[in-house]
Amino acid sequence: MNKIIMDDTTGRDTILPALAIRNLNFWYGSNHALKEISLDFPVHQVTGMIGPSGCGKSTLLRILNRMYDLYPGQRATGEVLFDGRNILSPGLDVNVLRSRIGMVFQKPTPFPMSIYDNIAFGVRLHERLSRADMDQRVEGVLRRVALWNEVKDRLNASAAALSGGQQQRLCIARTIATRPEVILLDEPTSALDPISTARIEELLDELKQEFSIAIVTHNLQQAARCADRVAFFYMGELVEVDTADKMFTAPHAKRTQDYITGRFG
Amino acid sequence: MPHESVHTVQSYEQELEQLRSLVNKMGGLVERQVAQAITAVVEHDEDAALDAPEMDPQVDELERETEALVIRLLALRAPMAGDLREVVVALKISGDLERIGDCAASIARRAMRNELLSCPISLTGLHSMGRLVQENLRRTIDAMDQRDPELARIVWHSDTAVDELYVSLFRELVTYMMEDPRNIGPCAHLLFIAKNLERIGDHATNISERVYYAVTGNILPIIRPRGKTFD
Repeated sequence: MNKIIMDDTTGRDTILPALAIRNLNFWYGSNHALKEISLDFPVHQVTGMIGPSGCGKSTLLRILNRMYDLYPGQRATGEVLFDGRNILSPGLDVNVLRSRIGMVFQKPTPFPMSIYDNIAFGVRLHERLSRADMDQRVEGVLRRVALWNEVKDRLNASAAALSGGQQQRLCIARTIATRPEVILLDEPTSALDPISTARIEELLDELKQEFSIAIVTHNLQQAARCADRVAFFYMGELVEVDTADKMFTAPHAKRTQDYITGRFG
Repeated sequence: MPHESVHTVQSYEQELEQLRSLVNKMGGLVERQVAQAITAVVEHDEDAALDAPEMDPQVDELERETEALVIRLLALRAPMAGDLREVVVALKISGDLERIGDCAASIARRAMRNELLSCPISLTGLHSMGRLVQENLRRTIDAMDQRDPELARIVWHSDTAVDELYVSLFRELVTYMMEDPRNIGPCAHLLFIAKNLERIGDHATNISERVYYAVTGNILPIIRPRGKTFD
């Protein structure tokens, strides 16, 4: 996924971002929910998105894998460039897109089937694997999310029997099983206890070696811990984006400062 | 260092306010300690000489209180951005203020030594250096109270004059000692006093740097324009 191009202005090689948003606008009917957003999601980095409820951060995440297609009256203008193509263009195969840009939600959403099938289900939609290859894929991703040792003896048990934290790790395993390039996470730990949360955060740190990650979170400490870069949204506008270090010690904009120090929201 | 907008959580705001008030109180005490120490040396004022060291335990106690509150704020409130800078800087400033207090007490303890009381050497140089250090400290503490980065930057620059006075005082005292070995005793004490004043100037400079950082989020360059020094 690392695409290296020559930057005309500097003459140096530049790595293209995994996703590049250009002048994005979004409407829920007449409600202008996102205004002229331009933002890059660098390859192999975690990009955190923060902001008060209703600021547009989850909307943005839903645009990135065309989730909004499911609802009438919602439309987007501008560009979201992924692998050289605008993912907003009508001709795009949304199913292929969603296998390459995976998503994990706030509440764990295991399918009502076995642990094994939860992972195999998505893979079967895109690939025809032999039983042995599928077994290997399932084991591989379960190991990747540090769930293998906990579930290896009950792969045929229902996923609903797992704890919340395990279910969420299963959902991440399911997402990476189709070998996406980008993973979108919408408040993935807000329903989890601190240890399960720490496990997911640790996992993100490891997964970014292979994937590019976008995470929406209300937990500022989590954004500070996990994200390389953080974007602050307010009322549909991108107020500021910078390294996590800069955002949490000395943000540039007063609105960012007021939000992250708890002075409004 | 008050802030323009107010926290949603009032008790957090109150704790930050308490931290500001602790550091300000410390600043006020230390300013008085330095003033008394200089008066003690220049005017041979015995009351002032006793006063400065007596304030020391109070300053130490305030430093401990500041430390405890900073740790509490870091643990319980996880401050961010401007608040984080303010809290961390309060801890560093309280350390500098405490050191300034020590220097002032050390100056005051030397003030009433017999060697100095019967000393034939002019204290004019020391007097001007003392007044300048005192003025810089006052302005530093003003910059801190008013969250004024521009004033902080100006004071940060003006320590150069203190360094230069220290160098010329050093030369003057060395000359007296070479002229007559009987001057060595009093001059040695005066050198220590001058050195302590110079240290106070440096700590005030540190405080200005920290105020500047707390307010703006930017760091002043590491290398400050300095006057000539011997060490």
